[in-house]
Amino acid sequence: MTEIYLRLVDKILTPIIILIAIFLFLRGHDLPGGGFIAGLVAASAIELTILARGAEATRDRYGPWLIPLAGLGLVAAATAALLGLYGGGFFRSIWLEFYVFDDKLKFGTPQLFDLGVMFVVIGMALTYLLRLSEAAEATAVKQAALEERVEESRL
Amino acid sequence: MSLHPTILSLPVAIPLLFGALGMLIQSLPLARRLQIQQTLVGIAIGANLVVAVILLVSALTGGPVAYQMGLWVPPFGITVYLDAMTGIMLTMVGLLSVLIYPFALATIDAERARLGFFPMMLFLLMGANGAFITGDLFNLYVFYEVLLMASFVLLTIGGTPSQINGGIRYVVLNLMGSMMLLLGAGIAYGTLGTLNMAHIAVRMADAPYPVQAMIGGLLLIAFGAKAALFPVFFWLPSSYHTPHPAVTALFSGVLTKVGMYSMFRVFPLFFPWLLNSWQPLLMTIAGLTMVIGVLGAFAQPTIRRLLSFHIISQIGYMLMGLAVAMTPNPYGIGFGLALAILFLVHNQIVKTALLLGGGAVELEMGTGKLNELGGLVKLRPVQATIFFIAAFALAGFPPTSGFIGKLGLLEVTFSSGQWVIAGVSVFVSLLTTMSMIRLWQYIFWGKPHRQPLTPRRQAHSNQALMTTAPVVILVVLSLLIGVVAQPMLDVAQTAANQAIDRAAYVKAVNPELTEQDLRIAPPDLHLSNTPHPAQVAGR
Repeated sequence: MTEIYLRLVDKILTPIIILIAIFLFLRGHDLPGGGFIAGLVAASAIELTILARGAEATRDRYGPWLIPLAGLGLVAAATAALLGLYGGGFFRSIWLEFYVFDDKLKFGTPQLFDLGVMFVVIGMALTYLLRLSEAAEATAVKQAALEERVEESRL
Repeated sequence: MSLHPTILSLPVAIPLLFGALGMLIQSLPLARRLQIQQTLVGIAIGANLVVAVILLVSALTGGPVAYQMGLWVPPFGITVYLDAMTGIMLTMVGLLSVLIYPFALATIDAERARLGFFPMMLFLLMGANGAFITGDLFNLYVFYEVLLMASFVLLTIGGTPSQINGGIRYVVLNLMGSMMLLLGAGIAYGTLGTLNMAHIAVRMADAPYPVQAMIGGLLLIAFGAKAALFPVFFWLPSSYHTPHPAVTALFSGVLTKVGMYSMFRVFPLFFPWLLNSWQPLLMTIAGLTMVIGVLGAFAQPTIRRLLSFHIISQIGYMLMGLAVAMTPNPYGIGFGLALAILFLVHNQIVKTALLLGGGAVELEMGTGKLNELGGLVKLRPVQATIFFIAAFALAGFPPTSGFIGKLGLLEVTFSSGQWVIAGVSVFVSLLTTMSMIRLWQYIFWGKPHRQPLTPRRQAHSNQALMTTAPVVILVVLSLLIGVVAQPMLDVAQTAANQAIDRAAYVKAVNPELTEQDLRIAPPDLHLSNTPHPAQVAGR
């Protein structure tokens, strides 16, 4: 399960893919991108870790945090909607604008909502991927044992 | 009573927020986590019921209200819409969840609680509330999906093979229903250019008949699949007997009723004339649903299988009421819908009471097989009595809510000239009575075949109280509706009048849009690429 090439690829590519996910997330409001797709990309980065290091090691590392992450995402999304009450209505977006070296930066409740979506997607997609990988690994182990037995009976 | 319309978002926001908080604490130690989750769920469903009652009272006294999420102008933003029918459904589902909660608290096992039973209850509630309150066809589909996912988890939580088997049938058949709804919404958007329900209602009148028939047919199939109507009910009897009894009770009060509510909402709003021109079709479906449901119930060997066939049978009565909603009759247009709403409420109460009572027996005796039970009347006289009343309420005996509902439906179908279906419904009532007598006799009469299980784990010292009290409350409610029928009927009539008042719906959502749209009849919407005048005005 611990292929040297895959581990190398994991070491180099995973941080890059996560950076891409953050880029997609920040780009999201006006251009293609956003929380959902960023969450999927981030989950795919960690799927690379699962492939390289095995599902068990990955579960030890991230496992207990996945459901709380999804919960946090939902809380963030609900908070963003409720913060809109301050701006006049449920889900009303509130934007803060400020300037850094002549560049306009905008932060607002839609971004908080999007962050929530991203967390939910990461949490749920990884829970699912980990289960699938574990099942696949268990099947692979069984298959190997079976082949070994066939081999023995042939001898 | 006038409210700030922002409160319309609470039926969705409360369960979402508290459910999310329940997930957030997943990594706490188990005992602590369950304690917090149960408290959170208790607070959430209590608050939800309070909000629902406030909304119901405000809708009854002040008429329909609409609210735009994020204050986006319709038809671009998502509309939520409240009238008395929505208020009744929100209140009923809120009430049922409050009553099922103590039952679940007392009987749910540690494994199911560990897997997140209680937060899932909130997500189910959120899906149902959202489907009730939304005024947008696509948003309705989204909330159906939320409902479907939450119910799928609740159905399979615990993971016994029969649950997985039932769960797969449930999810596959329901996904097909959702697909039909999505197709209907897609066709509505493609031909009418809008998904806002008020906007669809306005444009539907000018749409060519094939478009109306296509959308109406797809919505009929979609909501029929959700409500378990005749040709598409197979998911219900193959899944409802598998999960924990509290889950079955919750499902029977929520899932099929959401489908029926959507039909009550959509048909009188989009195409009330189709209710008349399609009356033979609707009556055929209603009659077959009733007959096949009740005949199926006779063949069932366990309590919950039998009761789930009765759910199907009773759904037929509601469709019968809807089918005569627009037919002129001495009681006035809309009386059929009022009775259908009343019957729906009656059914939620009584069916949940029966499933909770039967579920308590099943948990206590360790089996739901009818021929292995018996003689419980001496052991559990209170349970036997309330189950008896609930069973006869379902069959439609006075002085219960079932009598009022069935008598009214009978009168309105007779006076609308629908003799055949009225006869069928009387015949089905007779069969229901026989089936209910048979059920009661098997469980409570005769000699006891087996002793109750000694509870392996006494979760609460007052477990008997927590499982019996909700059933008693529900039965008392049913009797109350039967005795003080007139005020209840008035409420239902108000709800029905608001539901068939299309102009009021459109006006509540967007007054400006209405006048623009009512004046201009778009000739060929599906061919022109130019934006509709109302869209331009909306921008």
